[in-house]
Amino acid sequence: MIPLAASAAVLLVLHLLTPWWWWVAVVPFVYGLIFAKNDERAFWEGFLAGAAVWGGAAAFFFLTSGGLIAGRMAAMFRLGKGWLMLALTALLGGLVAGLASFAGRSLRK
Amino acid sequence: MRYVKAVVSVAVLAAAVWALQTPHGMVPPIGKLANPYAGFWRNNASSDKIPKKLDLSGLKEEVQVVWDDLRIPHIFARNDRDLYMAQGYIMARDRLWQMEFIARYTGGRLSEIVGPRALDQDRYHRRLGMTRAAENLLKGLEGEADLKESLEAFGEGVNAYIRSLKKPRYPLEYKILDYAPEPWTPLNSALILKYMALDLTGGNKDFALTRLKEAMGEGVVDELFPYPAPFQDPVIPPGTAWDFGPKPAEKAGRPRGPTAASPAAPPGEASETDPWNDFIGSNNWALAGTKTSGGFPILANDPHLALSLPSIWYAVQLSAPGINVYGVSLPGAPGVIIGFNERIAWGMTNAGSDVLDWYKIQFKDADRAEYYHDGAWRKTTVRREEIKVRGRASVVEDVLYTHHGPVPFPEGGTPVDPDLPPGCALRWAAHDPSGVVRTIFGVNRAKNYEDFREAIVSFDCPAQNFVYADAEGRIAIWHNGKFPLRKKGQGRFLLDGSSAADDWTAWVPMDEVPHVENPKRGFVSSANQRPADATYPYYLGWDYETFERGARVNELLGAMSGAAPEDIVKMQTDALSLRARMALPRLLPLLPSAGLGSSAAFALEKLKKWDFVLRADGIEATIFDRFWREFSSAVWSDEFRTEGRSFPTPGSDVTLDLVLNKPNLPYFDDKTTSAAETLEVIAAKAFTAAAASLENEWGLAGEAWNWGKARGTEIRHLARIPGLGTPLLAVSGGGGTINNVSRTSGPSWRMVVSLGPKVEAWGVFPGGQSGNPGSRFFDNMVDAWVEGKSFEIVFLKTPEEAHPRLLGRTALGGRR
Repeated sequence: MIPLAASAAVLLVLHLLTPWWWWVAVVPFVYGLIFAKNDERAFWEGFLAGAAVWGGAAAFFFLTSGGLIAGRMAAMFRLGKGWLMLALTALLGGLVAGLASFAGRSLRK
Repeated sequence: MRYVKAVVSVAVLAAAVWALQTPHGMVPPIGKLANPYAGFWRNNASSDKIPKKLDLSGLKEEVQVVWDDLRIPHIFARNDRDLYMAQGYIMARDRLWQMEFIARYTGGRLSEIVGPRALDQDRYHRRLGMTRAAENLLKGLEGEADLKESLEAFGEGVNAYIRSLKKPRYPLEYKILDYAPEPWTPLNSALILKYMALDLTGGNKDFALTRLKEAMGEGVVDELFPYPAPFQDPVIPPGTAWDFGPKPAEKAGRPRGPTAASPAAPPGEASETDPWNDFIGSNNWALAGTKTSGGFPILANDPHLALSLPSIWYAVQLSAPGINVYGVSLPGAPGVIIGFNERIAWGMTNAGSDVLDWYKIQFKDADRAEYYHDGAWRKTTVRREEIKVRGRASVVEDVLYTHHGPVPFPEGGTPVDPDLPPGCALRWAAHDPSGVVRTIFGVNRAKNYEDFREAIVSFDCPAQNFVYADAEGRIAIWHNGKFPLRKKGQGRFLLDGSSAADDWTAWVPMDEVPHVENPKRGFVSSANQRPADATYPYYLGWDYETFERGARVNELLGAMSGAAPEDIVKMQTDALSLRARMALPRLLPLLPSAGLGSSAAFALEKLKKWDFVLRADGIEATIFDRFWREFSSAVWSDEFRTEGRSFPTPGSDVTLDLVLNKPNLPYFDDKTTSAAETLEVIAAKAFTAAAASLENEWGLAGEAWNWGKARGTEIRHLARIPGLGTPLLAVSGGGGTINNVSRTSGPSWRMVVSLGPKVEAWGVFPGGQSGNPGSRFFDNMVDAWVEGKSFEIVFLKTPEEAHPRLLGRTALGGRR
C-alpha cells in the first residue's frame, strides 16, 4: 500500500506543479514497472490512483466553483448534466492510469 | 507470449496518450482538456473573486479598480498612460481570448489555429486588405503622441496580463482549440477597429444591382430599388435649413481628398453572405429638456449587431485627471466607444451611406502587371500574403493592387465569396488612414458641444449617426464620416476603371455632412434611415434601412412630453410593427372568409384582432411574419427566378408601396402561370401557404406557434462552440421594430442617459462582463435583456466613494 500511496502523492504533486496531463500515464507506468505484484492488481491499483487524483480534484472544483463550467462542458459534449463531467474525469484518469500501470507491469520479466 | 503482451500493452498506452493529446478535427484534445489540474475545471467561477491587489509593473503610480455588482470595473488612474495600461490589463483578464480571436479573424489568421477549414475566410480578409487597412490606421497616428501612447499603453497592459498567465489559467477556448495566446500589438487594436468598419460598411449591392440591370434594364432597377426609398422619414427633420452654401461641392480651393498620389488609395469589401454580417441596424435619439420630466436632455442608444458570447461589449468607467467617462468599450481597443461623462453623452448608429465602390479593371494582358486608366497604362503592385495553416504548408496569396485598391477576385481565380465581382478593384474608405482613435480619445474627454464637434470630425469610417446631448441642454445629431464626393447615383453599379471620371477625388467637407442642432421638434433621432431630404445638396448613397424603425421612433418621440428615463428605457423595447400596421388593414379584407382550413381560419381571426405588437408569447407575430414572407416571395420569385443567377430582392418598403399605392403594376401577376393574378389572388394564396407551412412546422395553430419559440433568439458563442451560447430565448420584437431582434442578432447594448447637474444612466447588454463560460458573470444580464429591463449604472466620482452596489476594490501596482 505504501508504494501505491506514495505514487499517488507524487502524481498529485506533479499535477499541482506542472500543466501536463500525461503524468497520469507516466507515474502509474513507473509504479507498474517497479511495484505492481501482478497484471490484474497493476491495472486496478493504477485505476484507483488515477481516479482518485483526477476525480478528487474534479470533485473539489465541482463542489466549490466548477458547477457552471461542468454544465457548459457537458453541453458542449452533448452529455446533459454537469456531474457527468465529474464522473467522466475520474473515469478517464482511472483508465489511463490503469492502462499505464498495466503496461509498466507487462515490461517486467 | 510475455513479450507480445508487453509490446501490445505499451503500444495501446502510447496510442491512447497520443489520441488524448491531439485535437481531431472539431474534437478538442481530451486529455489536456479533462486534466482537472490544468484543463477546463480550472476555468471555474473562482475568476469572479476580487483580488485586493494585482501586480502590474510599468505603472507610474498605483491605479484603483472598483468593481460594482455587475462586475463592471471603475478604473481610477492618475495619468492617461496608467489609465490605458490598466484598461488593457483588466480587459485582458476578462476577455483575452475574444480580443485575440477577433484580431485574428479580421487579419485573416484563423487557419493558423483551426487549420484549412478557415482558409476561404482568411483568403477573403487578406484579399480585402484588412491588415493593410489596419497598418494604414497606425500610420495615420504618426506624430500624434497621445494617441500612440494610448494604444501602446493598452497593449502593454494586455501583455503584462499574458505574461502573468500560466497555462492552467488560459481562457477556456485556448484549451478547446489547443493553442496559446501571443503577445498583443497596437496592430491588433487597429484590426479590432477595422473589424467594425468591415462589419458596418464592408458590403453593398453594386454587383447585384449591376447583374439585375444587365438582365432587366435600368428602369426596373430604379423602380424596385428606388432612391429615395418610399415612406422615409429622414434623420435630419425635413425642412431643416443647411448652414452652408447651396452648391458647396463646387467651392474653389477646397482641399482635395484622396488622390492617386496619396497612400490612402486602397479599398475593401465584404459581403452580405458573410455570416458575421447578418443583421445590423441601430437606434439612437436624444430628447430636449422641453420634452422630459427633469427639464434636461435624455439620450438613448441601442446598436444592433450579430450577437455573441463572450459579449460584444465590455462596460467600463475610465477616470484620470481630465477624463471621467463611462460606457461600453470594444474588447481589444482602448477608450469608451458609446457612453457618457459628467457633462455630455453620445451614441452611434450606422450611417449606411456608400463608402465602397467597385471598378472594372482592363488589364493589358494575362500577367496583370499593367492596367488601362485615363489614357495610359499604369502598373499594378502586388502584396504577398502568407496564410499559415495549422498542420499544413502555408498558402500564399498574391493580392493585386491598383491605385483604387486591391482586386479581391481576379478573373480566373477562386472567388472565395460569391459577391466579389470578378476583375474589379475595390475602393473603400476603410482603407484610408483613419482618425477614429482621435475621436474616441477626444469624445471621452469632451466637456461641451465644441469639444464633441472637434472630436468627431476625425471619425471617418465606419460613418455613424452621432447623437449628442449635454448638461447645458443642447442636443444634436451628425450623419458623420468621410463620404466621397459623387455625382447623383455614382457608385450604384460597378464603375468603369479605365476612365478617371468616376475616381474618388475629394470628400464631402466634414462640416457639410447632414446634421442638426436643437431642432424645433425637440428631439433628434436615427435608425439607419435616409439621412436627409431632397434639399441636401450631396449624394451620399441610396441603400438605407427601410423606414419602419425610424418612423416608429419619431412617432413615439413626437407624441412624448414630460418623459422620464423609465419611459425611454421602456421605449427601447417597443415591438410595434409599422409594416404590419400599414399592410394588414389593406390585405386582410382581401382574404376569403370561407373555405379556409382550421389553422388558417384561426390565424385570420387572430390577425384581425391584433394590435401589431410582435409579442414573444403570442402567435400573431409568427403568422404575420410568415404571411409577409410568403407574400413577398409570391410577388417577386417569378420575376427574380432566373437560371441560377441570384438577384437582390426588393425591400419590404417597396413591396408595401406596391400594395398600398401601386396595386396595378404587373409585379403581382405570376409570370409562371397563364392567368393574370392580382393583388387579391396573391394575398389569398400567400395566406393559405403561410398557414400550411406553419402547421407543417409546428402543428395546429395554438401556443406552439408562439413567436418566442417559432422565431426565438439565440446568442451563439463567437467561435460557434456548442454549449457555450444561450438556449433559444423568447424575445419580443423583430425586424422593423425598435426592438430589432432576429434569430441571431439584436440590440447589443441598450443605454439611456439623463443629463443635468447629476448624470444618471441605465444600461444592459445580452451577456455579461466575464468572457469565462464558467463565471457567473458570463451571461448574467441575458434575462434582464430579454425582459427589457435595464440596470441603473453605477457612476463614481472618486475611488473612495461609498456605494451600496460595490463588490470590492483592487489596487494595481508595480513592483519596483
